[in-house]
Amino acid sequence: MGKTVLIVDDSSTMRQMVAYTLKGAGYEIVEAGNGKEAVSKLNGGAKPALVVTDLNMPEMDGITLIQEIRKMPAFKFTPILMLTTESADDKKKAGQAAGATGWIVKPFNPEQMLKVVQKVLPT
Amino acid sequence: MSTDLSQFQDAFFEESSEHLTTIEDGLLQLEQRPDDLDLLNRIFRAAHSIKGNSGMFGFTAVGQFTHKMETLLDQLRNGKFSVTPEITDILLRSTDQLKILIEAARGGAAPDTDLLLQLERELAAAAEGGEAPGNTSSTPSQTSPAATAVASSTPGLHRFRITWAAPAWLFQRGLDPVRMIGELEDLGTIISRTLDTSRFPAFESLDPESCYLTWTLELETPKEQAVVEGVFDFVRDGGELTIEASGPAISPVVTDDSEPKPLGEILVESGVVSRETLDKALSQQKRLGEILVEQHAATPQQISQALQKQGEAAAQPKKTGDAASIRVDTGKIDKLINLVGELVITQSMLSSLGTRFDMSQLPVLVERVAQLERNTREIQERVMGIRMLPIGSTFSRFPRLVRDLSGKAGKKIQLLLSGEETELDKTVIESIGDPLTHLVRNSADHGLEPPEERLAAGKPELGTIRMNAFHEGGSICITVEDDGRGLNRDKILAKAIKQGLIAEGEKLSDDQINGLIFRPGFSTADKITDVSGRGVGMDVVKKNIEALGGTVSIKTALGKGTTFTLKLPLTLAIIEGMTVRVGRESYIIPLVSILESIQPTASSVKTITGKGEVVEVRGSYHPIVRLSEAFSIEADCQDPTKAILVMLETEQERVAVMVDELLGQQQVVIKSLEKNFRKVEGIAGATILGDGTVSFILDVRGLIELSRHGMSVAA
Repeated sequence: MGKTVLIVDDSSTMRQMVAYTLKGAGYEIVEAGNGKEAVSKLNGGAKPALVVTDLNMPEMDGITLIQEIRKMPAFKFTPILMLTTESADDKKKAGQAAGATGWIVKPFNPEQMLKVVQKVLPT
Repeated sequence: MSTDLSQFQDAFFEESSEHLTTIEDGLLQLEQRPDDLDLLNRIFRAAHSIKGNSGMFGFTAVGQFTHKMETLLDQLRNGKFSVTPEITDILLRSTDQLKILIEAARGGAAPDTDLLLQLERELAAAAEGGEAPGNTSSTPSQTSPAATAVASSTPGLHRFRITWAAPAWLFQRGLDPVRMIGELEDLGTIISRTLDTSRFPAFESLDPESCYLTWTLELETPKEQAVVEGVFDFVRDGGELTIEASGPAISPVVTDDSEPKPLGEILVESGVVSRETLDKALSQQKRLGEILVEQHAATPQQISQALQKQGEAAAQPKKTGDAASIRVDTGKIDKLINLVGELVITQSMLSSLGTRFDMSQLPVLVERVAQLERNTREIQERVMGIRMLPIGSTFSRFPRLVRDLSGKAGKKIQLLLSGEETELDKTVIESIGDPLTHLVRNSADHGLEPPEERLAAGKPELGTIRMNAFHEGGSICITVEDDGRGLNRDKILAKAIKQGLIAEGEKLSDDQINGLIFRPGFSTADKITDVSGRGVGMDVVKKNIEALGGTVSIKTALGKGTTFTLKLPLTLAIIEGMTVRVGRESYIIPLVSILESIQPTASSVKTITGKGEVVEVRGSYHPIVRLSEAFSIEADCQDPTKAILVMLETEQERVAVMVDELLGQQQVVIKSLEKNFRKVEGIAGATILGDGTVSFILDVRGLIELSRHGMSVAA
């Protein structure tokens, strides 16, 4: 069984695309539509080796989610990648300060995305 | 691995149209509640999602335009300045344009670039209104060639000396130095590596979750320095990193932008012409239409007609791929999956029975087969239910329409919607949008009076249009109601005579007179306005509704208002029904119509001459309809006190239907009776029950009519 990746995005299209790309590379996928859902999935027993999260989301945004994840002992050192748009440099900073590992800049193509994932996730 | 993401385009369009609705609805609400930050955030997120997703499919025009909207929205939500009607107006118009852009990306007509540019300017200007914004990233990136990464065409190996003092937070952000060094190894060969542990603190102050290591590596790689730096992308803002070329020097090669530049740009860059000369030359460039007119190849009228056509084509969203996908409530799918699970269980029970079957197990077999039947039927019903969508998606376009209409007509109008959750078949939903639009336009323009006229008539200045949808028997009713001036009988008559639709002195009933407005070419508007009054519309509405097998009816009171009721059959509709028994027959009563079921006392049932039987329920009297009499069948109970009276209500009228027994409640699929037989008064349709028998669905409206006339259906 491949490693599990948790995808958090309020856009179902984006989730589908990320999931499709990662499934193709052999990862298992867990999806959440916002930060709150992600937290409850993590509390509910999901054990992702990597979290990929959008920043702008209803209920709980990506930055807060990253902070929440870092507070959980089980996921203290889990790599977290944020999905951001190119112009949002301050967002990258804020995300990193919250504990994000890195980022994937939108728009990305599947190869770029996999490259970044493999960068932070030991194979 | 297949890496084609274009298969998600349909999902993108589907999702985008939802976001567009969110933006539009949100903006309309924002006008009422300009301080609602949640609302602003919701609108912003919707725009942001469209922007982010459109980039994934290379729809740059969509992305760029949405970015402009997003910039303005961002400043609004950050409180840089407040929401004004002007700003919502710009945003609403931009939303329209964004719709067209997205349609264009889907393969629709090209958008009007002039309008787009105009809107982009307005958006930018509005965004500057609060605070001079930094240069937005929308301008094509002007990176100087020298600063960009160097091309990888240089042959040979480079040697880099990398010294990296890892930041203390390295582990806390989920980064792994082993992985990073591994990445360097992937790039080439690490010739030497030194680990410096001198930054380790004394043991007592050591934080096991912090990183105190410093590496010095020598890497030999065919890759460029930028690629090597890329390995450290995520640790730039901490620690110390130096990368020095220690091998052969690199000659920087100028890279070119992937897109060819316009001729003018190249000429300016190479110094052949100045920027001013270029701009001047460009401004002299003529549009195709002008050139054709100058050459007398076409008249200005022909050109403007052609342009208008182009505009219309652009305004009409292309309907391709509409039927390609349907968005279904996940709850429905979950139920379906559950049912399929049950089907699988039943099937496996059957096959295990089959392997060791003997006659003594016959009852078990019968039971299992019955279960299989039930599963299949339920699945069938659920699958049909997937085609059913709430009408809210159609209703949601009207707040915007009414807002625009009220602006144009100079009237104050509020729109009240109800029954948005009423479900009907997707095909019907798609076909009723235009007729409804006509009706709403009609109400706004003809129905509602101008404010001064309303005030003079003692009405509130604010006119109301009310839209409602509800199931009634086998039909869905959609009403468009206004509290305006109502239809003017005399005016309609006079106009109809003038237009030769009827002869002078002809006697017409009220219904017939009202029906005149559905005649082609009929209009009573004193003057033709932009909105309606051109005499096209109402006849088209009627034609479209009748094409769907429905009817349009009018209720009007002079000075009080007009109600248009569209009644559409729902051949595929699934309703909640109560199965009742009369003698050996069973009937279905739509659950929404049922108020209560009672067993009356002898004293509460009375007979009134000329009106038949009535029952008293909490002080008011309601007519009793004996189903056995209405449908000429034998009932078990003739005495109302022994039978059950089911109280039904529709359009504020009540009737008590007398049945022998209530059998239970279930979802039923309505099959049209008219299509297969003919219309029968008091019956809305038929359905097939769980045991395979056919059962009629009662038409509550029809039963009330029956009770009024007091006669049975001559079947």
